[in-house]
Amino acid sequence: MLKRVLKASLCFMLALVLAGLFLRSCFVVRGVDDAAASVADADVAVRRAFNATLDAERAGANVSGLLVRLNDAGVVLGEAEVALNNGNLSDAAGKAGTCISIAQSVVSDAGVLRASALDGARMVFWTYLAFSVVGIGVFVVVLAVVWRRFKRGYVGNVLGMKPEVKHNEA
Amino acid sequence: MKLEDYKVVFVAVGLVGILLFASPALALVLHLPAGEKFSALYVLGPGHMLEGYPYNVSAGGEYLVYLGVGNHLGNAAYYEVLVKLRNSSDALPNSTLGVASDLPVLYRYEAFLADGQTWEGALSFSFSNVGFGENVSSVGMVRFNDVWVEVNKNAVWDSVNSGYFYQLVAELWLYDTTSDSFSFHNRFVTRWLNMTAPV
Repeated sequence: MLKRVLKASLCFMLALVLAGLFLRSCFVVRGVDDAAASVADADVAVRRAFNATLDAERAGANVSGLLVRLNDAGVVLGEAEVALNNGNLSDAAGKAGTCISIAQSVVSDAGVLRASALDGARMVFWTYLAFSVVGIGVFVVVLAVVWRRFKRGYVGNVLGMKPEVKHNEA
Repeated sequence: MKLEDYKVVFVAVGLVGILLFASPALALVLHLPAGEKFSALYVLGPGHMLEGYPYNVSAGGEYLVYLGVGNHLGNAAYYEVLVKLRNSSDALPNSTLGVASDLPVLYRYEAFLADGQTWEGALSFSFSNVGFGENVSSVGMVRFNDVWVEVNKNAVWDSVNSGYFYQLVAELWLYDTTSDSFSFHNRFVTRWLNMTAPV
């Protein structure tokens, strides 16, 4: 009886150890996958942040501050990749998270800068257009007035001229 | 001068004036062609100069160069600098076809640069697991900025230049927003390294 109990216990323990080994490998693989997915997400987030920055720049915004933060995100992303390659999964996932939060803040700020730059550009456009249209109108009217006065003066001068008689001494 | 001549002068002055007043609005619509667009990639020695590059290297030694990138593309750019190691039989990047080397990437830099901005990054490196056989040397591990990478690369004895030569290759890649991927930007720099036995 005791022998049977011992045998059953041994089998149970063996099964437990085998299951533990299997589960451990499952958890490690799962951990690698998760960390790799986080780093890949961080990479995508950085690219998206750069696209948003480029859009803001095309709208005329000053993006130098955003580029500094993107460089910070790039450094953190590089560190996450190194940590992932070294098997330091928690560090990789943590740095990937930091990178994603920097990238998201860049996207948000780039949107604000872009909107502000577009508003500014619209304002400048209408101001310049108004200046040009009004300026041209005033200039043409002034020039027409000057021309009319000049023409009147010129004609008056011509009509007021008297013929000069000269003697031929030869 | 006749009245008709004065009229011509007034019309000319009028046209010049109209152009002057229209120039602010025209400047918003018309854009002058930009200058040549390009990127620069360079390598400097330990003193940030074009001299003092490491040449004779050995296991355990510490070496330093600086890699630099200049953006003259007219807009912000997202660059990658990929560091690779080759021997004399490995293929270099093909600048005619614009194809990068197929060697594995050992180290990677990322740089976001505004137009006209330059970036410089330190690249310190050392070698480990270096062996010498009959007319052949081998390098097992290389460290780039505190990151050890397994390379397992061999170099045969170069009898012409008397050495076992490896070459550090840095390639410039540029992020393309349309394809959402990096592509080789057809710029690369190299430095020859002669592997010697430690004294």
